[in-house]
Amino acid sequence: MTLFGLLLPEKERLATTFREIVAGRGGVALYAAIAGMLLGGAGIAAIVFLGHGRTTNTSTLVPWGMQIATYVYFALVSGGCIFTNFLGTQFFRRTYEPLASRVIFLGLVNALAGFLSLASELGHVERLFWFILSPNPTSPMFWMSVWYTADIAILLVEYYNVRRHHHSKGLLYASFIIPLITYCSLGSLFGAVSSLPYYYSALLPVYFIFAGFLAGNALCAAVVALRAAKDGCRELLRPFIRMQKIALASVFVLAFCRTIIGLAGSGSGYEIFRETMVTDLVFGMVVSLVVPFLILTYRKSPGGVLLATAIVLVTQFIARLDLVVRGFRVPLFRVYDMPERIGYTPSVAELLVLLASAGTVLFLYLVAERSGLFEAPAKGE
Amino acid sequence: MDMTAHMDIMAVMKADLERALAKPLDQRRWAMVIDLRRCIGCHACTTGCMSENLTPPHMQYRPVREEETGRFPATGLRFLPRPCMQCDNPGCTRVCPVKATWKREDGLVTIDYRKCIGCRYCLVACPYGARSTDTGEYYTGEFHARTYEVENSGEYGKTFRRRSHWHSPVGNARKCHFCIHRVEKGELTRCTTTCLGGATFFGDLNDPKALVTKLIAKGNVFTYKEELGTRPMVFYLL
Repeated sequence: MTLFGLLLPEKERLATTFREIVAGRGGVALYAAIAGMLLGGAGIAAIVFLGHGRTTNTSTLVPWGMQIATYVYFALVSGGCIFTNFLGTQFFRRTYEPLASRVIFLGLVNALAGFLSLASELGHVERLFWFILSPNPTSPMFWMSVWYTADIAILLVEYYNVRRHHHSKGLLYASFIIPLITYCSLGSLFGAVSSLPYYYSALLPVYFIFAGFLAGNALCAAVVALRAAKDGCRELLRPFIRMQKIALASVFVLAFCRTIIGLAGSGSGYEIFRETMVTDLVFGMVVSLVVPFLILTYRKSPGGVLLATAIVLVTQFIARLDLVVRGFRVPLFRVYDMPERIGYTPSVAELLVLLASAGTVLFLYLVAERSGLFEAPAKGE
Repeated sequence: MDMTAHMDIMAVMKADLERALAKPLDQRRWAMVIDLRRCIGCHACTTGCMSENLTPPHMQYRPVREEETGRFPATGLRFLPRPCMQCDNPGCTRVCPVKATWKREDGLVTIDYRKCIGCRYCLVACPYGARSTDTGEYYTGEFHARTYEVENSGEYGKTFRRRSHWHSPVGNARKCHFCIHRVEKGELTRCTTTCLGGATFFGDLNDPKALVTKLIAKGNVFTYKEELGTRPMVFYLL
C-alpha cells in the first residue's frame, strides 16, 4: 500500500507545507489550529497528570460532561461525513465524486478527534485491552466500541479505494451500514439507561443517526462552500444544500417527537423536559434548525451556506452537551442535602479538550489541503 | 433500646453470620435491613465506612440522606442511610463493557479494580447513585498525602495501594460492597457495628433463622425504586 501520494499527501508537498508553517506562511487558520492543539494538549496533560478530580467538573452526581459531549459530537460528525459520502455517491455521483476523498478524510479525522476526547475522559485508557480479553455482550458500550473500530477500519478501506478510483458498490454499502450500526449503538448507549428518563428512549439511536448526518453534512457543506467561494463553482454546493435541508427537516421531526414524548412522561425525572421546553423549542428547534433551513432556502450562495452550516455546527455541539448533561439534572434522590437541580459548568481543562479535538480536525484537514491531497486524486497504485 | 439489648442483637447477627459462612457461597444471600425508625442521623456508619475502606474526599459508600415525608402541613423528616443496594437484578453490571463489575454467587456486586477502565457507565446506570469515581484526590493534598491515605484499603480482601498504578483504585468506579473483606473473616459490616441507634442489620436472607429474614417477614418493609425491577437487597423498615 502506498502511503505517501495515496493515503497521505506527496512527501515533497508535505515537507513544503511544514516548511511554510515554520517560516510563518501557514495562514491564520492553520496557526489557530496549532494553537488549539497546543492549548488542548496542555489541558489533556493536566487531566492525565493532575487527575480528573482536580481538573474537571464532573462528579459522582454528573459523571459525564464536556469530554463525553465532545466525543459524541465528533463521532457523530464523522458518521455524518460517511452518510454524506454514501448519499452523495448514490444520488449526485457526477457532482459529488471529486469531493469524495475529502469527505471521507473528514470522517476519519473527526473519528480520531472524538477518540482523543474519550481517551482523556477514561480513568484508565491503558486498560482498553480488556475489551478484547473480557468482553461484555450485554453492554451497549462494548458494542459501540466494536462497531466504532469496524467503522474506522471500513472508512480506511473506502478511503483507500476512493483514492485509487477503485469503486466497489459492496464496499460503499458496507461503509454506510457499518456507520449506521455504529451510531445506533452510540445512541443506545444513552437510550438504554432506564434510570435516567432524559436518556431512556428507543428514539435516541435514530435521533443520533440523523443528528450525526446533520452535523457531518454541515461540516462537508462548509468545506465545499469555502472552496466554491474561492473557485466560484457553485454547482458543487447543490447536493450539499439539498442533503443539509433533508437532515434539518429530519432532525426537526425527531427533536419535536422527543420533546413531546418527554412532556407526556409522568415519572420522576421527566420534569426536565417541561423545564427545558422553551429552550428546546426556541433554541433547539427554531434557532438551530429552522433558521439554517430558511437561510439555505433563500440564500444558496457560499456565504449563505457558510452561515447556515456554522449555525448548525455550533448549535449541534450545544445540543450534544445539553443531551449529555441534562440527564443528570434531576437528582436520583429527593433529599435535603441534595440540590433541587444539579448544575454543571465545564472546567477550563474540559474546554481545552474540546479545543484539542477541534484543533486536530482543522490542522489535519488544512495540512492535507495545502499539501494537495485533494487536488488531483491519485490514479491506481 | 438499652446497651444490653444492642449487644444481644450484635451477638445474634454474629451467630447468623457464622452459620452463613459455614454454607457454600452459592447458598448465601447477603442482605441488609435498615430500620428508619431507629436511625438517628448521627453519620457514624458513614464515618466508620470511610475509615474502613479509606475512601477519598467526595466519596461516601454509605451517606445518610435527610428525606422529607408526607405533605404540608403533615410533614416529617427521616434519615435515609443509602449503601449499595446489591441488587439482585443490577443495571450496573450489565452495562460494564469489560465485565469489571459482576454479581457474585452470594449476591454481592463487586468491582475488579485492576480491570475497570473508568468509563463511569456504571455510575450512570445505577438508579441509586451508589457508585462514585475515585478521582485520585487526598484529604491533605496530592503531594502531601498522609501515610494512612496511601495505605492498602484491604477492600475485597486484596491489596490496592493508591500510589500503585496497576492495582490502584484511582480512576475506577468504587462502591459499598457490604465489607466483603470483613464478612469473609466472620466480622459484621462496619456500618452495622458502628450504628449508634441499632438501626442496621446484616445477615443471610437464605437462612430462615437469621434476624434479617425475621425482620423482613414482619411486613413493614420497603425497597427503593421497586418499579425499576432491580430487586434491591437492602430493605428499609418503616
